[in-house]
Amino acid sequence: MTRDVRVYLSLMPEALIASMLTPEEFGVYYAVGTEKKARGQALFIEVDPQFRHDYFRIEEGMRRCVPHEDGSPKASIYISVYRVVEHVPLNAMGKLYLVTQDGRVLGLEAADELPEVTNGFHLYQEIAPVHPMVVSSLGPQGFYELIVKNPEILIRLPAICFAELRLGNLAEDPEHGEVGDLPYSRIEHLRQCLMALARKTVDAKMVNRTAPATFSYRTIQSGIFVGNEEGLTFFPLPPVETLRAEHYRWWRSAWSA
Amino acid sequence: MLISNFWAISALFAGLISVGAAVWFYRWVQRQDAGSEKAQEVASWIRQGARTYLQRLYLALTVVSIGLGIIIAIVFGFDIENLGTGAAALAPGRGFSMALAFVAGAICSAVAGYMGMSIAVEANVRSATAAQESLSQAFKVAFYAGSVMGLAMVGLAVIGMSVIYLLTGDPEIILGFSFGASALALLAKAGGGIYTKTADIAADLVGKVEIGIPEDDPRNPAVVADNVGDNVGDVAGMGADVFDSYVASTVAAMLLGASLFAADPGLQVRHVLFPLMLCTLGIVASLIGIQFVRVEEGGRPGRALNSGTIITCTIFAALTAAVVLLGGYNVGLLWATLAGLITGVVIGFTSDYYTSARFRPVLETARVSSSGAAINIITGFSYGLVSIVPSIVGISAATLLAYYLTELAGIDGIYGVGVSAVGMLSISGMIVSSDAYGPIVDNARGIAEMAGMSQEVIDTTDVLDAAGNTAKAITKGFAISAAALTVLALFAAYAEVIEARGVELVISLRNPVVVVGVLLGAVTPPLFSALTMLSVTENAFDMIEEVRRQFEERPGILAGTELPDYDACVALAAQGALGSLVGPALLAVALPLVIGFVLGPEALGGFLGGSIFTGVIFALFMSNAGGLWDNAKKYIEAGQFGGPGSDAHRASVVGDTVGDPFKDTAGPSLNTLITVMSLVASLFAPIIAAFHLF
Repeated sequence: MTRDVRVYLSLMPEALIASMLTPEEFGVYYAVGTEKKARGQALFIEVDPQFRHDYFRIEEGMRRCVPHEDGSPKASIYISVYRVVEHVPLNAMGKLYLVTQDGRVLGLEAADELPEVTNGFHLYQEIAPVHPMVVSSLGPQGFYELIVKNPEILIRLPAICFAELRLGNLAEDPEHGEVGDLPYSRIEHLRQCLMALARKTVDAKMVNRTAPATFSYRTIQSGIFVGNEEGLTFFPLPPVETLRAEHYRWWRSAWSA
Repeated sequence: MLISNFWAISALFAGLISVGAAVWFYRWVQRQDAGSEKAQEVASWIRQGARTYLQRLYLALTVVSIGLGIIIAIVFGFDIENLGTGAAALAPGRGFSMALAFVAGAICSAVAGYMGMSIAVEANVRSATAAQESLSQAFKVAFYAGSVMGLAMVGLAVIGMSVIYLLTGDPEIILGFSFGASALALLAKAGGGIYTKTADIAADLVGKVEIGIPEDDPRNPAVVADNVGDNVGDVAGMGADVFDSYVASTVAAMLLGASLFAADPGLQVRHVLFPLMLCTLGIVASLIGIQFVRVEEGGRPGRALNSGTIITCTIFAALTAAVVLLGGYNVGLLWATLAGLITGVVIGFTSDYYTSARFRPVLETARVSSSGAAINIITGFSYGLVSIVPSIVGISAATLLAYYLTELAGIDGIYGVGVSAVGMLSISGMIVSSDAYGPIVDNARGIAEMAGMSQEVIDTTDVLDAAGNTAKAITKGFAISAAALTVLALFAAYAEVIEARGVELVISLRNPVVVVGVLLGAVTPPLFSALTMLSVTENAFDMIEEVRRQFEERPGILAGTELPDYDACVALAAQGALGSLVGPALLAVALPLVIGFVLGPEALGGFLGGSIFTGVIFALFMSNAGGLWDNAKKYIEAGQFGGPGSDAHRASVVGDTVGDPFKDTAGPSLNTLITVMSLVASLFAPIIAAFHLF
């Protein structure tokens, strides 16, 4: 059986990869299916196989992506590992896949519209190209514009992938709000950051500069955002009831981590 | 003869009816739908693992039984009354009877355990399948299966004791039966405890913590061993434990009745048989109470189990009152029975207070977990220590009430203490039925998960499982308290047997030999706990390596393209558990004999006293602290204080792992340890009275 060669944009870490595996197979392989012990949570986007860009040697990568001698499909050929997101246009991006650390895969379709902005403060986990955790008074669109489009601050990124995380009661009452099921470390520090944000004129404040790109999927507020100078795409996470009913394995893995 | 033995014959019939009912429930459960092929395949892994372990356990027990049986036949083949007088006469018939009683005790306990576990590993998949239909039906399947263990246990115990009494008329021979049951209980409870925690810890530390796969995930190589462990530890192990206490308390009271009323043969028979009468009434009450345990759709299984216990207690109290008052028994015996019964139930529910997420101890332990594992452990440890107090107060109250109320009524108070222990254990049929329900629904939940059943089924089994955890906590408190009262009665029986041989037993702390006995006795339960827990860590270490090896060498396991080697983990757990039993078992059997023969009967009395005190305290502390840490973790996992993945959760996982061997290995095994040591002392008391160095 011949297999098509696909192209995946890995966001964790940032890389462009050619593979003969389907997205579900690739997710399992990427998270757990290797003897090299390179295990862990993964996020990737399926890229249009017709997509080409001078920055990447995609043709060559795809050419080298051939089955193993025993006939098994080639799992991965790394095409690029640096400044990838900024060079992939939004219209070349297909579904985004969230893979748990034990290899459960959930595919998310891009939405036509951005989510409604909720009241209070927002918490963002930046995923690529850098990955600090940031609190902001801006909604996702505003945050994206602050970082990519029209930066009023010194820092600017050519593209960004980030998740909006839940703040629960802290969003509106940083000082006294209940933590509930929010698993963030150093909650007191998070409260102080939010209270500082309330007192200052800045729109965003870094909570954790050494945060890893990985995070608990159950903390996602609305979904994952990918933006570059062209615009911002939103991949909404379905409601928890839907996840539990229709994607039980993924939900159980994601919610127990 | 027939009239004087009325209650022995009644007990025999009650036992037969109880076993008959257990067989009926067994067949009823077997007739239920066993579900899809996938579910049955998963259940078959657990079933096979459980049976393999039991076969190995019973093989080991056969060797031990034959060896100890021969020793008992030889030792008791001498006329003990003439030992040391230079005119030793042979009494081979008595030695043979004692050895047969010993073997019968072990066999009855083994058969009850085997029946209970056989149906548990059939019922788990049927309960999960029934959960597709309704909560009510799934509960019924699991509870009826649990009733097999409860009813078979009390039925076989009562059959064994009544048959031996009817054949020999000698309660001391029943002591052999009790020793046989205790020997099995020690192996089953300690072995089961080591097995279950070895598998649980390995499954959690590698599967959940290192790899990040959820509980009961079929990709975990240790998941089947973990589910098997629930059965061998909580069904066969707990059943053998309560069987042991049930028989020991009855025989202790019978022995006290025989010695305290020796002056009047008519009164003697009545008081020797009074404990068997209580067992009979307890069986009747349990059989009726079980019929009331049912859950309507949307109902609460925990409430149904508690109602069953309360109804059984009420029926038992009413029956006992009727028989005591109409049968012309001294009313003091009624008060002693009720003191034990009420205390047992109250202590059981007290355990629930310290281990339930509805109350302060668990909530507080969960809250402070965000400060780290050390704070979690200190808090849980402290509440575990506090939890000892109500139970000790309860045991003290039961002892004093039973003693003085019977004294006031004109009967020797120590007999009242023995009767109160029987009163407490008389409803064991119902208590063990509720307890065995727990691992069945726990397994049902695991099978639903592993077989990929729907979310609704998993939700239903979650509801059933929560009630099982509460029942388990209550049973542990009950079992420990019952064991405490039982060994107090056994201690009195030991003293009676020694003094009946003309040796004055003065257990005074001014006697250095007694002090040494007390100290050695006090150190035995901690040493036993250490040996069993070290066995868990040693075996878990091996299994962790095995699980890691499988994940590393076969990535297809995590990818879901190949099955793990479940058998490797099952075999490791079984070998490790059985291999680890030699040291603790020797300690339990040999130490009282060494103390008795070397330091004498008074030192042995002190030894028993010391071991009872620390044994009960350690058992209560370990069981409650372990349950508390476990539920603090579950409370956080339910979404409090940061939920899964939070700092509080990581700390609570450490606490739970520390508590695992506390609550399921060392803590519950201490009941059996102190019962076995007291039985060994009572059994060999006549010989120790004749031969000792000091």
